Amino acid sequence: MTMMPSARLRLTTVDTEATVRIELRGDLDYDNADRLLAAVTGQLAGRPRLEHLHLHCAGLGTVDSMGLSVLLMIHRRTGEAGVRLHLDDRTARLDRLLTITGTLEHLTASPNGAASSPAGAGESPKNSAEARAARPTGPDGTT
Amino acid sequence: MRNDAAGLLLPAARPGTCLADVAPGWLSVAHDALRCPDTAADRAAQPPLSGVIGERSFEAHPSVRADGTVVWWLVDDTDHRLVREALHMERERTAFLAKVSSMLLSSLNLGRCMDVTAQMAADNLADAALVIAPAQGPQLPVVTCLRGGHPVLSHESVDPDDVPGLGEALRGFPPVPSRWIDPAAAPEWMVPEGFGPIGSIVVTPLPGHGVPAGALVLLRRSQTAAFTEGEEVFARLFAARAGAAMSAARLYAEQASITEILMRELLPPSLHQISGVDFAGGYRPSMDHDRVGGDFYDVHPAVVDGEASLVALGDVCGKGLEAAVLTGKIRNTLHALLPLADDHQRMISLLNTALLNSHHTRFATLVLASAVRKGNAVDLRLTSAGHPRPLILRASGAVEEARTHGTLVGALPNVPTHTAALTLAPGESCVLYTDGITEAKGGPMGGTQFGDERLQRALSECAGMPSESIVERIQMLASQWVGDGSHDDMAVVVISAPRTRHLSAVNGHTRGRFTA
Repeated sequence: MTMMPSARLRLTTVDTEATVRIELRGDLDYDNADRLLAAVTGQLAGRPRLEHLHLHCAGLGTVDSMGLSVLLMIHRRTGEAGVRLHLDDRTARLDRLLTITGTLEHLTASPNGAASSPAGAGESPKNSAEARAARPTGPDGTT
Repeated sequence: MRNDAAGLLLPAARPGTCLADVAPGWLSVAHDALRCPDTAADRAAQPPLSGVIGERSFEAHPSVRADGTVVWWLVDDTDHRLVREALHMERERTAFLAKVSSMLLSSLNLGRCMDVTAQMAADNLADAALVIAPAQGPQLPVVTCLRGGHPVLSHESVDPDDVPGLGEALRGFPPVPSRWIDPAAAPEWMVPEGFGPIGSIVVTPLPGHGVPAGALVLLRRSQTAAFTEGEEVFARLFAARAGAAMSAARLYAEQASITEILMRELLPPSLHQISGVDFAGGYRPSMDHDRVGGDFYDVHPAVVDGEASLVALGDVCGKGLEAAVLTGKIRNTLHALLPLADDHQRMISLLNTALLNSHHTRFATLVLASAVRKGNAVDLRLTSAGHPRPLILRASGAVEEARTHGTLVGALPNVPTHTAALTLAPGESCVLYTDGITEAKGGPMGGTQFGDERLQRALSECAGMPSESIVERIQMLASQWVGDGSHDDMAVVVISAPRTRHLSAVNGHTRGRFTA
């Protein structure tokens, strides 16, 4: 488990070979959204066998247009890398933003077209199993 | 009595001579004072005596012997003193440089920076100073300042390459050191009026942030000492600070003028009634003064009377120039797509295609509204592309959200939308707004969002009001809510079906039968 200290956005990464989980705490906005993109881009580049990227959103504060733009970019990059993006534990505010902007389905749909579970419904059993299997990594896991 | 060292120092002081005749005044006075018992008592409390003998300075420590005679120990402290003086001068210079930096950086105005540089250089480094900026067109802007005088700006039509070192200094590349020039070779324009004969003159480049900021010319009169090596180094340190400030001012001026040009281009139009439909709009840019906003709106009147006018209101992701460029692109694209204004979905899809970019996912959300007068009502078609839904204010004061939804433009390959069609009766309005209003933070406790509910409640109190009053009312409430706090851009457009009075008109059911 590694931390990026920041007053406004904290990213905590826990990962296994096929799964990376990034916990988001704080605001995802104009001033720091790029850091999340950089963190994800780094993970995608460093882990060719990655299959799932989980962004834990429960601790997210304000998500502004730049924050949403970065989520869309992450979706695009994960799609290109063949990695499935999961926005887990979404807050009601995040869901509202995604609904108004018409991006909820795009960002949460599984590859076969069905939208994933709604906000707050938690993860599927498979994801939880992955979570239990997740092991903390050393400095090499730094985002 | 004397030892050998004293003999070298004061060769005239032989045993038996009177001290006052052979030693410097400061020493013999002290010697006399010491022999007076009153002052001898507290001599320990006094700081050591010091004074100059020949070219060196000494500290004198007396010790009174039992027989009443005094032995003076003279300690040479010349080097110590020189170091102290150097330290003092260094501190003064550092303080001066700090003052230079703070004075120069407090202004982002290039002219003011040149004035300050010339004045401070003239007052601290030379008898007169010239600050020369890189040529603008055929003329060189030159600020001249005499010591104790005021800086004066002039434009000289001269070739800088005629003055040795000046051309290179103004080009900024390759970096050149300060250059001494023959005072006799200095051109007339370089010498301030009434300056008198020049003793020394040095040209120092002003280094900027990768761009040449200009050159500093220092002049000293012939009766003033020429520049020492230390002073020249100091002048270069001064020039580095002045150059940084001047190039920052120049870059800022360029940026400010770009922003101003864009702002002029991006300012929303003033709205009025078009073909029997009332339009009113208001825009409050974010308090970030040097940032171009990301909100926009436009009203495109129908080309043919009886067809719908198109309103577009939107919000572009991000801030600054990138947002401004995207805003301009969207407004131009929508303008070009006006012939397709009947089909909102098609317009939005084409706009999306035009904006899609593989490098980034900067997007915009917007609402399209087509409004046409039908009888004394107004038919509306509303399409939201990822934008907060327009609000419909009914005559009763009820506020409804228009049933339209869709996907933002510029980031995803497909942008499905759903268009809402509805009718406004006379006195009813449709309100398009950006989230700068609902997300404005403030309120009695500060930090609370204005929010959808508060906006809807405020609107319901506006029932029957003309469109312009509704815009003003919403802007006022949002501004009050924010108070002194900062806020994002806020844009509102209100489309209203005018209240009508039936006229005792002559014929038909044309629009002419009603007044707005």
